[in-house]
Amino acid sequence: MYLGIDIGSSSSKVAILDEQKRIAAVSVLNLGTGTDAYEEVMKDAMEQAGARKEDIKFVVATGYGRINFKGADKQITEITCHAKGASFLMEDIHTIIDIGGQDAKAIKLGENGQVANFVMNEKCAAGTGRFLEVMARVLGCRIDELSSFAEKSTKEISISSVCTVFAESEVISRLSAGEKVSDVARGAHMAIAKRVMGMAGRVGYEPKVVMTGGVALNQDMVRCMSKEMGCEVAVAPYCQAVGAIGAAVSAYDISHKKEK
Amino acid sequence: MSYQDIIKKLETAALHPAKTVTEQIRKTGKDAFGCFPIYTPEEIIYAAGLLPVGMWGGKTELKLADKYLQSFCCSIMRSNIEYGLKGTYNMLKGIILPTFCDTLKCICENWKAAVPHIPIVPIVYPQNRSIDAGFVYMTEELQRVKGEMEKITGRTLSDDDLEEAWELYEEYRRTMREFTDTAAEYPQIIGAKRRHLLIKAGYFMDKREYTQDIREIIAGLKDEEKKPFAGNRVVVTGLLAEPAELLDIFEENQLAFAADDLAQESRQFRTPGGTEGSVWQRMAGRICDQRGDTFLYEEEKSRGQMLIDMVKEKEADAVVIFMMKFCDPEEFDYPIYKKELEAAGIPMLYLEIDQQMDSFEQIRTRVQSFAEMLA
Repeated sequence: MYLGIDIGSSSSKVAILDEQKRIAAVSVLNLGTGTDAYEEVMKDAMEQAGARKEDIKFVVATGYGRINFKGADKQITEITCHAKGASFLMEDIHTIIDIGGQDAKAIKLGENGQVANFVMNEKCAAGTGRFLEVMARVLGCRIDELSSFAEKSTKEISISSVCTVFAESEVISRLSAGEKVSDVARGAHMAIAKRVMGMAGRVGYEPKVVMTGGVALNQDMVRCMSKEMGCEVAVAPYCQAVGAIGAAVSAYDISHKKEK
Repeated sequence: MSYQDIIKKLETAALHPAKTVTEQIRKTGKDAFGCFPIYTPEEIIYAAGLLPVGMWGGKTELKLADKYLQSFCCSIMRSNIEYGLKGTYNMLKGIILPTFCDTLKCICENWKAAVPHIPIVPIVYPQNRSIDAGFVYMTEELQRVKGEMEKITGRTLSDDDLEEAWELYEEYRRTMREFTDTAAEYPQIIGAKRRHLLIKAGYFMDKREYTQDIREIIAGLKDEEKKPFAGNRVVVTGLLAEPAELLDIFEENQLAFAADDLAQESRQFRTPGGTEGSVWQRMAGRICDQRGDTFLYEEEKSRGQMLIDMVKEKEADAVVIFMMKFCDPEEFDYPIYKKELEAAGIPMLYLEIDQQMDSFEQIRTRVQSFAEMLA
C-alpha cells in the first residue's frame, strides 16, 4: 500500500492507495502542523485500510509540515500533490483553485495533468481559510455555518479591505450599521473570490476549474468563486484530502517506477 | 592559498561587511567612501585614493528608519538609513548617491538631516542616454562629481589618476564577466548562494585585491572536471537575490544560476566601457550603452528580449524574478517582460522579497514546486 500525508496549517490528512491504485482510506482531522494530529490521522487511515505498518511500501509527505515529518520516504510540495490528486480523481481539469487554512493557490495544469504554472498568495491571510475563520468569529457563528448564513443573503455588501485585520474592523462597522449577518457573510465570500480570481488571472486560468482544500466545503464560497470566474467551478471529491491523495499517488508512482 | 581557501575568504568577507571594510581600511590605509546603489562611479572614488564601499542594505532590525522612510519603501533603502542612524556607516568619509528612483531622490534630502556628519554627493543620470545631449550631460555630471570629491578630500584628481582607476575597474568588470560564465559551468562547486556571496564581496574590498582573488578562483575552477548537472538552470532577474538564506533553498532544490540580470550583480559589470575619447567619455559610454536595465530608461524596453536571449544562450530552463517589495521601477517593468517571456514559452517564478524577511516557508514551497514543475 502507498500512503500520502498532507500536514497543513490547520488540518492533517492521510490517504492510502492499494496495489490496484484504488483509494483504500482517507482520513481528515482539523488540527494542523505543530500538533500530534498526524499520528491520530495516520492511525485512523491505517485502520480504515486494514493495513499494518509493514504493508506500507512508500510514504510521501506534503503540506507545511512536510519538512519536519520524519516518517516520509520523500517530501513533495502541496502544489504538485494537488495537481496529482485532482488529476487522479477527475478528468480534463485545466485549473485548480486550492484554498486552505493559510494559503490560496491557483494551479494551471498542462496536458498530462502536470503543473504548467502556479501562483500562491503572499504571507498575507487575505483570500484564505484564515480570513473566513476571522469573519466567522466576528459574525458569531461557526465556520461551517458561514455557507448557510450566506445563502440567505438578499443584498450585495462589499468588503473592500483585502487585509484580514482591516476587514475585521470593516465587518464590525457593517454590523454596527445594521447590516444582516447573511449579507456580510456573503460579502466575505465575495471578497475571497475576488482576490483568488485575481491570482487565477495571473496564471491564465481556463475551464474545467476544480476547487480543492477545506474552503471548498463551503458551498456558497464555491458559488461565489464560480460567479467571479465566469465559469462552472466543480468541487473535487474528498476536497480537503486532495493533497494527501496526490501524495499517495506519487508514492505509488515512485514505488512502481523504482520496481521497473 | 588554494582557490577553495580564496572562496572561503570572500564568502566570509561578504557575510561580515563591517568587519571586512574595517580590515580593508587598515590594510590599504585608505579612507572608505560609500556607494549607494546603483551605478555609482566607483572609479572616481578609487582615483581619489579612497576605498569604495557598496551600500546594499542588509538584514537589520528597523527601529530608527521609520522616522524618514515609511514601511512601503524599499527595504534596502530603509536598511541604509537605519545603518546611517545607528552609526554603522560612521567609518565612511562620505557617500555618493544616484537618484534613480523616488525613494533615492527622497533619501538624498533625508540623509542630510538624518546623518549630517557623513557628507553626500548626489549624482543625476540622464533620462535620454541615446542622444548626444544625454551623453555630453553624463560626461559633465561625472566631472561635477569629481569636483565634489575634490572638495571633500582636499585632493586634486588628475586624469592620470582616473585613467589608472578606470583601467582597474574595466579589468574588474572583464574578470567578473568571465567569472559568471565560468561559474555557470561548475554548479556543483559554485551554487546559487556561493555565487552571490563571491560577487557581493567585491563591494567591501579594494578592487585590486578582489579582482586578483576572482582571477585565481576562475583558474582553480578551470582545473576542475566539469560534471553533468542533474538539476535545472535558471536565469535570475531583479534588484538583488537576498537574504542569502533564500539561496540555500535554490541549492536544496538543485536550481543553479546560469546567468543573472541582477542590479547587485551582472548589471554592475556586464557592459564594457567605451573605447574612444577621454576617460570621462569612456565612463559615460558605459552608462549610455547599458541595455535592459529598469533603472536606465530606454524607449524600446529590451529587457524581455534580453532575458529570452540569455535563456537561449545559457541553455537555461526558466527565469526567476526576485521582486524587491515596493521597488516601483522593477514592478513597472514586470508586466512588459512577463508577457514576452510567456509568449516565448519560458517558465517563470515570481518571488516577492525584502531584506528583512526571516520566514522562508512559503518561498520554500514555491521554489520546490517550481523545481518539481521543471523536473
